[in-house]
Amino acid sequence: MNCEHTREQLADWLKDCLTKTEKSEVELHLIHCLQCQEEFEASRQLWTTMNLVQVSVPGEAMKVQFNTMLNDYKKTSEIEKKRTAPDWIRQVREFLTPQLALQLGFSLLLVGLGWIIGYRMKSPAAPSVAYEQQIDTLAGQVQKMKQMMTLALIDNSSATERIRAVGYSMGAEANERVLEALFSTLNSDSNVNVRLVTLEALTQFAADPLVRTELVKSLAQQDSPMVQIAMADLMVRFQEKRSVKALRELLKKEDLNDMVKNKIEQTIKDLS
Amino acid sequence: MGLLFERYHRPLYTFLYHMAGRNDACQDMVQNVFLRMLKYRHTFTGEGEFKTWMYHLARNVLSDHFKQNKAVGYYDVHELADKLDGGTLADSEFESRQDAELIQTALAILNQEHREVLILSRFQNLKYAEIAEILNISEGAVKVRVHRALGELKKIVLKNNNPRTA
Repeated sequence: MNCEHTREQLADWLKDCLTKTEKSEVELHLIHCLQCQEEFEASRQLWTTMNLVQVSVPGEAMKVQFNTMLNDYKKTSEIEKKRTAPDWIRQVREFLTPQLALQLGFSLLLVGLGWIIGYRMKSPAAPSVAYEQQIDTLAGQVQKMKQMMTLALIDNSSATERIRAVGYSMGAEANERVLEALFSTLNSDSNVNVRLVTLEALTQFAADPLVRTELVKSLAQQDSPMVQIAMADLMVRFQEKRSVKALRELLKKEDLNDMVKNKIEQTIKDLS
Repeated sequence: MGLLFERYHRPLYTFLYHMAGRNDACQDMVQNVFLRMLKYRHTFTGEGEFKTWMYHLARNVLSDHFKQNKAVGYYDVHELADKLDGGTLADSEFESRQDAELIQTALAILNQEHREVLILSRFQNLKYAEIAEILNISEGAVKVRVHRALGELKKIVLKNNNPRTA
């Protein structure tokens, strides 16, 4: 082993981290080479003396300082944690790669589009209101038409036409003029059938107290047995007590049919 | 963290003390190193030794310190030279202590590169492999550097020791 090689080992030799064989090789060289021996000895002395170098020991103050620093750091990091909103936004931004942003944007666009289409398809609700209004107008017009037809045909010479006229008033709304026409037909029409149909037509307006009063009044004016019986039935149906007086009047008529007489008596009994 | 402090604040302090010197500045630097440990704990991947990571941080703190003070070493060389000349303790029982002081001052005169490698290997008792990792050089280069540093140190010591022994 030459000097150069041995000196390469110096660092390891000082730290005593040579293998046994390496160490013995180095020591063998040192025995023969005075120069190396001197250098190694001097180095070792230096190395040992370095161990004696005293370093002032860090004081307790340092530990206190450290603890303060640690606490401060904890506090500030807690505050930072609380203030993460902008940080969060930044993270989202980092997360949103252009491709992902595009995809997300596109899906949002689709959702928006779907919403708009859905809204548009639902919005014909407004036209339907107009449609209903139109129907209402039309229905109103039909009503008016029916009333007009009733009034126009009720004076017709043909009994069939007059029945049709009364038929028009069925399902129509009560109108003063129509009611007036119907009552005049009921009281004075020459045809029994027309009167019967008129009576039937008038029953649908019987909820009106005025109509009932008129019906009671009209009782005295009837001479046809069929109409009288129909009216008597009607009075029972509506439980119209006011009619009892009129019915009694009717009983006093001399030419009263027996059947009608019985019927009226029965009616009076039912009502009283 | 407290445990780390207990375990490492002395070696760190020794390292920084030898590297930089001043006591108060050293304490601050030790604090700084621990603060950086907290701040940059995510950079410690767990691969490699914690010690080497710590010395990396310490070296950064140290270089910041030097930049701030705009001096590569901060000992006043002239003052040290005076100290070396005037250091005459005759008593033999103080001799070793004097030698130690001599070495300490000589270390301070040594250039930073050499000083560092000696501190790490001798005072910090790190293996050459660890030092190599800290300094980012090969293990062989560390050994060469130790050898040269010792040579330089010897020269300084001898040069200043001669007047005393003469």
